[in-house]
Amino acid sequence: MSRSVKKGPYVDANVAKKVAAMAKSGKKDAIKTWARACTVTPDFVGITFMVHNGRTHLRVHITEDMVGHKLGEFAPTRIFRGHTNKKEAGKAPE
Amino acid sequence: MPRLIGVDIPANKRLEIALTYVYGVGRATATKVCDALGLDRGLRARDLNEDQLTAIANYVQKNYPVEGQLRRQVTSAINRLREIGCYRGLRHRRGLPVRGQRTRTNSRTRKGPRKTVAGKKSVKGMK
Repeated sequence: MSRSVKKGPYVDANVAKKVAAMAKSGKKDAIKTWARACTVTPDFVGITFMVHNGRTHLRVHITEDMVGHKLGEFAPTRIFRGHTNKKEAGKAPE
Repeated sequence: MPRLIGVDIPANKRLEIALTYVYGVGRATATKVCDALGLDRGLRARDLNEDQLTAIANYVQKNYPVEGQLRRQVTSAINRLREIGCYRGLRHRRGLPVRGQRTRTNSRTRKGPRKTVAGKKSVKGMK
C-alpha cells in the first residue's frame, strides 16, 4: 500500500538536517547514512550519499531523475555472482 | 472492416469490445468513450458511419495516450529506471521480475524458456 499523501514523503530527520546544513555551507563531502527508507527530495539533487547496504556504504550521486525514489533503491543488498560450476566447485570452493 | 487510429481494424463486434483492439484502450476506457460520444455500446463496429469513426478517433486521441505514443511513454519510463541504477532498473536490465515475485520457480514470462543446468537437482529432489 502506498503512503498517505496527508503525511507527505518520508524524509529521515537526520538526513534532512545534514542536507540543509550542506546547502547553507556550500558543497562538502558525501553524507554517510543508514536511512535507506528516506525519500529523495528535489533538494537532494547534486549531493553524493553513502548509502548503507548492510555491509558497507555505497556511493550514490543523486540526479534529477532519482527524485521520488528511496535512497535504498540505489544500494543493492544482494550480490549475485552466478551459480557455482559443478566442476570448479569441486576443485576450489570459494 | 473500419479503420480506427492508424492500423487498428476492429471486427464486427460490439463497439465497447471493438474499441479495446486499440492499444491503450481497455474495457473501462471503451465504455467511457461510447458514453461520452452518446453512441450505443452495443452498436456493431461495421455499422459506424464515417462521422462517428472520426469522432471516436478524435476523442480518443485527444483524451488518452494510445498506440505509438503510449508505447513510447512506457519504454521511456523503463529506460529512466534503467539509467538511474535503482533496484527496479537493475531487474529490468537482467530481465527478471521487477515487483518482488519469487524466482526460484516460475517467472517464466520474464526469464524466457527454461535453460536446464546440468547437475541441478529437480524440485522434487530438493524436498
